[in-house]
Amino acid sequence: MYWLRTVFNTLVYGTGAIVWLMISAVAARPWIKTGAQVRKLVYWQSRGILFFMRLCAKSWRVEPAPRPQGPAVVAANHASSLDLYCVAALGFNNVMYITKGWVFRLPFFRFVMKRAGYIDAETTPPDEMLTRCRRAAEAGCDIVVFPQGSRRNPQGRFKSGAFYLAEKLNMPVIPVAIGGTGQMLAPGSVWLHPSDIVLKSLPPIRPDEFSGPLVHLEMARRTKSVIMQFLQGETL
Amino acid sequence: MITKEEIIQKTNEALKKEFELTDAQLVPTARLKDDLGLDSLDAVDMIVVLEQQFGVVLRQGYDMRSMVTLNDLYNFIEHLAQEHKA
Repeated sequence: MYWLRTVFNTLVYGTGAIVWLMISAVAARPWIKTGAQVRKLVYWQSRGILFFMRLCAKSWRVEPAPRPQGPAVVAANHASSLDLYCVAALGFNNVMYITKGWVFRLPFFRFVMKRAGYIDAETTPPDEMLTRCRRAAEAGCDIVVFPQGSRRNPQGRFKSGAFYLAEKLNMPVIPVAIGGTGQMLAPGSVWLHPSDIVLKSLPPIRPDEFSGPLVHLEMARRTKSVIMQFLQGETL
Repeated sequence: MITKEEIIQKTNEALKKEFELTDAQLVPTARLKDDLGLDSLDAVDMIVVLEQQFGVVLRQGYDMRSMVTLNDLYNFIEHLAQEHKA
């Protein structure tokens, strides 16, 4: 039954999600002129992908926490390519992703990534990244990062770069716990397994809660800790 | 005078705590970037962490490009310790 459902999920909902991404991009293209409009399109595309994910899931829980005033750095754990879409479920509807360079080289995606103004973490110099994030925040964007940098090690260290940005721009960090996506679509797999999905944003962590020369490292550690504690509680 | 063994032990302790590295990873031949996954910002953090650990200023004379492996880092700290003694 489990594999039957997996095959059905992949063939029907997986195909549906890909078709949705393509049709929505092509249909919206004549009306899309600015980066903000592309980001809005990505939000609605993400909502569509979330609809298909929900159909694939065994159970589905979304728990947004009250968010702080103004833009924030949204830092989530990372176990699947589906995670990119999950932040939309928690109400983040105008976001600037900072991602690895390979995403910018994907056919189809690269067009959207560049037009939306998303930032390539590997090729953007630190000063330019800071400037672009400051501009994005001034335009009301949240900055979304997956500080583990890879889907291959779900327990991996949270690298401190995003938290350095948060410290320099004096922005709160909203930890986002994403559970079950690694079981639904594992790295390197095409099968959409039925799994229990939980998406939760946690109380913000602010730079002024810490002191000393390594505030960003402390923030990275705290963020990972609250996310992992939540996810461990989910599996007990 | 701090010995090389003490330098290795204190450096490894700091790297394990701050960068979630394991004993298995912390071998002298491990490359800081490719094997330990320490990027340029991590390198800066590492220097601050090691300064706290050893109570000395490492920033002067420190060149990340010449620091490829963990052993290079141990040797650099040992060199500074000898200079400090002299």
